Amino acid sequence: MRKLFLFLSAVLVISCSSVDCPFKNMVRTYYNVYDHKGALLQLPDTLTIFTKRVDGSDTILLNCGIGLQTFGLPVSYTRTEDTLYFHFYNNDYNVYDTVWIKKENYPHFESMECKVAYFHKLTEYSYTTNCIDSLILKNDKVDYDDQTTHFYLYPDTIRY
Amino acid sequence: MIRRPISTSIRTPFVISLLLLLTATPASAQKVYAEEKDSIPFFRGFYVSFDLVGAGMAMFTDYGQYEGSLHVNLHDTWFPVVELGLGRANSTEEVTGNHYETKAPYFKVGVDKNLIGNKHGPYRVLAGLRYAFTSYKATITRPNLIDPFWLYLDDYEIIDASCKMHWMEALVALDAKIWGPLHLGWSVRYKFRIFHKEGDFGQTWYVPGFGINSNSRFDATFNVIVDI
Repeated sequence: MRKLFLFLSAVLVISCSSVDCPFKNMVRTYYNVYDHKGALLQLPDTLTIFTKRVDGSDTILLNCGIGLQTFGLPVSYTRTEDTLYFHFYNNDYNVYDTVWIKKENYPHFESMECKVAYFHKLTEYSYTTNCIDSLILKNDKVDYDDQTTHFYLYPDTIRY
Repeated sequence: MIRRPISTSIRTPFVISLLLLLTATPASAQKVYAEEKDSIPFFRGFYVSFDLVGAGMAMFTDYGQYEGSLHVNLHDTWFPVVELGLGRANSTEEVTGNHYETKAPYFKVGVDKNLIGNKHGPYRVLAGLRYAFTSYKATITRPNLIDPFWLYLDDYEIIDASCKMHWMEALVALDAKIWGPLHLGWSVRYKFRIFHKEGDFGQTWYVPGFGINSNSRFDATFNVIVDI
């Protein structure tokens, strides 16, 4: 009887349900900033990145980043192309660049209790070169992984 | 020539004789044993059972399964079994708004062994193993999903995603004869996945026959059993 009691107790303890939503549940693209020699660079300017909502209003994705070496940006759920406006500025100048990123979107599901998500595959991209010298796509898969760098950003070498 | 003491010469044949006496079975005793030998036939027929817990869940909650089984009774000791079921889920989570639907059959095959001393009595204590398989299609939707930055509405949809799962079950069961051919019993089952394929979208929520999807889980059944 004692063994039966212990067995049933173990069953009750083990069978308690739990919610297993992933702790890291942000789907973002990650950027590293490099100088022309390929070394990590700390941006001397302030950087704000924004995009346009469906109603045409601006929404800020990265607000007043100072001294950035790396940063992450959200990705739209189901749009086929995201347009990002990079605003570099300091006391002397304001410079804007635009980045267009085309992508494929794949629904991702973990559990009923977890918010749904979309993972992405980046397919094409283009950009203006007012302050950005070049932008290199290093990894095209975007998911919950926050350790993967997707873009290498090389600012204009004349400024830095 | 070394002469052994008389006591030793007598003792050795005595011990051998005693051993022969103990191991030998008199003719009368052999007859008694023959009469006590189990006369119950090896094949004892079939019994069917139906799980009330899964059926109740299927009728009154968002998910559950209707499951029946056919057992072969071999000398009240071994019970090869086939279990067939129909699992269903139709659930909307209140907080996240996620909706999940699936409906598919599943089957299990395995064997139980009666562990009780008096095998032919009115009680059975069984330990068993099952191999189980299901192939199912899952639909997962989240209507009117708002993109948090771009603020547009969209419908999140995974429609009829083809999935399959193989799993094993280890169980302990007990049943008791209630009246005539009718038994009632319960089982506790430990289920563990051995293979699953759910496409590239992640993992499904409810798997017909397995329950809520995970590496392993415990389940219980309450069975109505009828000897046939």
